[in-house]
Amino acid sequence: MDLRYSEEDEEFRARARAWLTAHVPGSPRPPRGRAAADFDRAWQRKLYEHGWAGIAWPAEYGGRGLSAFQQVIWYEELARAQAPHHINTTYVALMHAGPTLIARGTDEQKAHHLPRILSGESIWCQGFSEPNAGSDLASLTTRGVVDDTHVVVTGTKTWTTDAQHADFQELLVRTDPASHRHHGLTWLICDMRAPGIEIRPITTMLLDEHVNTVFYDEVRIPRASVVGGIGDGWSTALATLAFERGTGFIGDQLELYERVRRAIGLAKQVRLEDGRLAIEHDDIALRLASLKADTMAIRAMTLTSIAETDRTGVPGPKGSLMKLMVTSTHKALSEVVGDMLGWEFVEFDGDRAAHPWTYDFLWSWVYTIAGGTSEIQREITADRLLGLPRAR
Amino acid sequence: MFLAPEDAEIEIANSAAKFLARAIPLERLHGAGASPALSTAVRAECGTMGWFGLVLPEARGGSGLTAVEHALFYREVGRHCGPVDILAQGLAAMVTDDARLRAALLAGDASVALAVEDESALRLLGSPDATLALSVARDGARLLDVSMIEAAARPSLDPATGMRAIVRGTPRIVAVSSNGGVWSLGQLGVAAMQVGVAERALDLIVEYAKIRETFGRKIGTYQAVRHACADMALRAEAARCQVWSAAAAMKEGRSDAHVHLDAAKHLADRAAVGNADVDIQLHGGIGVSEEHHAHLLLKHSLLLARVFGTKRTLLARLLHAELEV
Repeated sequence: MDLRYSEEDEEFRARARAWLTAHVPGSPRPPRGRAAADFDRAWQRKLYEHGWAGIAWPAEYGGRGLSAFQQVIWYEELARAQAPHHINTTYVALMHAGPTLIARGTDEQKAHHLPRILSGESIWCQGFSEPNAGSDLASLTTRGVVDDTHVVVTGTKTWTTDAQHADFQELLVRTDPASHRHHGLTWLICDMRAPGIEIRPITTMLLDEHVNTVFYDEVRIPRASVVGGIGDGWSTALATLAFERGTGFIGDQLELYERVRRAIGLAKQVRLEDGRLAIEHDDIALRLASLKADTMAIRAMTLTSIAETDRTGVPGPKGSLMKLMVTSTHKALSEVVGDMLGWEFVEFDGDRAAHPWTYDFLWSWVYTIAGGTSEIQREITADRLLGLPRAR
Repeated sequence: MFLAPEDAEIEIANSAAKFLARAIPLERLHGAGASPALSTAVRAECGTMGWFGLVLPEARGGSGLTAVEHALFYREVGRHCGPVDILAQGLAAMVTDDARLRAALLAGDASVALAVEDESALRLLGSPDATLALSVARDGARLLDVSMIEAAARPSLDPATGMRAIVRGTPRIVAVSSNGGVWSLGQLGVAAMQVGVAERALDLIVEYAKIRETFGRKIGTYQAVRHACADMALRAEAARCQVWSAAAAMKEGRSDAHVHLDAAKHLADRAAVGNADVDIQLHGGIGVSEEHHAHLLLKHSLLLARVFGTKRTLLARLLHAELEV
């Protein structure tokens, strides 16, 4: 057991730090819309041109093929440099669609899409959830009729982040009408400009329109765009699990540690109703200190998870614990800052830059719901980590 | 960089687990013959197996191992609500320069309680017959001779920990050390024990949830139970990983090791007390009976939460502490 990075790792850290110091954009990301997507593309393009794209991707697919620990270092340095957050418009392409194509795509699919994903040219969105299939994804009903040349898709997907900016979508449909649950599904590459697609934005409680409902009316998708085979969609959808190696949250972790430090700084400046500084109130001070310990634990959990995965060769069932920890810590931090800021906290018109703490507070529920709700994460933990008897 | 136990470390933990399950099972704390004492026989066996000298350099009669093995061992001790004497005795061997006394401590021939001072009393925690006591502060430690001192038994909530308070007289100081590492190892040891308590509580309820039925179903199928168990797993996991961080930071002599230790103790206290609480609740009626282990874990966790840093002192330090890098 040790915490020492190798000389090679430390050299990598020094190079990453130097590059980021020189290249992190001077202007903040625009809060929303096309301008935000363009900003994300430009940053990804810069990473690509300087050899920092696809840190975790195998070298044969244009990535850096770095170790899990170097990924950790990269995310640590991104957070330290206050670089653009990796959860942005390029996230689905880089963290999910790309890895899925690497695992299950055909040579043609890889050759066409992977370079465009790495360079930020292609934005992707995810087409999994439906109005009646969220937590219970396997109950999805969007239909794909397979003919000699195409899969013809009709149905509805929802909560689709950045559908309005996306070039492609990872689309999971039911191609066998007689099938149940996770059988008979197919994973498709859907061109978002294909005829028959209608995108309708959903205004969220954050007063933005980052998510959408997408309607498909006999959208013709070439069979060459099937990934992993007709009827094999469930397994394709799960193929990226092995890729993530438990490092998916390291960026969020470091950001959280920095945010706790910023909140402590804030507590030394703002005064509460009684005129005393927020930090002089025990309930505020103790909560902030406890959150600092929580963010340290999140980093430790990440490093332990990588080590345990190295030992066993397969990622353990602890990703759900990590998500619960990160998302609950995020929310608790927003709450304590809300208690400090008083009226300022409830002056919010959707402007993220002007009211970052309120925006992040509202974002808490995106965190605890998207990508598997906290309740689903507890179910997964009960099933796979604790081995409790299943009720479902 | 490898923040998990490696083969040789796992071997030591397994050997400790096997020994402790036989020597100090939780059953010892139930019924008429229950006693918090670390028996002469078990103390001697601990000595023979080298558990008191894990981190002591070989030149001083120890095994020369590190904070990592120390943490792994005390996690196993915690799983059985092991007496704090074991920790006090191991730390005492670091404090004295007297080779004969050290040999006696390592062999388990002498017995050491943990001395804790507050404004009202000098408390002795551990076996009622301990003749020595170790008082540890952040900047050093003192080994006291309490054999001739009048100490009155105090009622102890925790069946695993005897409690006495010195009534009259001042104990003779046998040895003094200004080595801050004694506190750090003590804090790490207690944090690791709390991880053991938290994990044991989780194990007990998971085992029960697989067999106990209500309304014709195993209780482990109810989300009210499953989700509470998942939260226990999270508390234990966070504490465990932070204890690994603290142990590795200490082993490597990092300048921020004390920050990792304070965070580890805080998270481990929270995990142990929180998990012991939920363990009792989910067991239902049987959970509040004396014959069940559940209350032992709660009571022991409350005792351990009061030594080597309490919630308020730990959090007050953490608020302004900074990490390396």
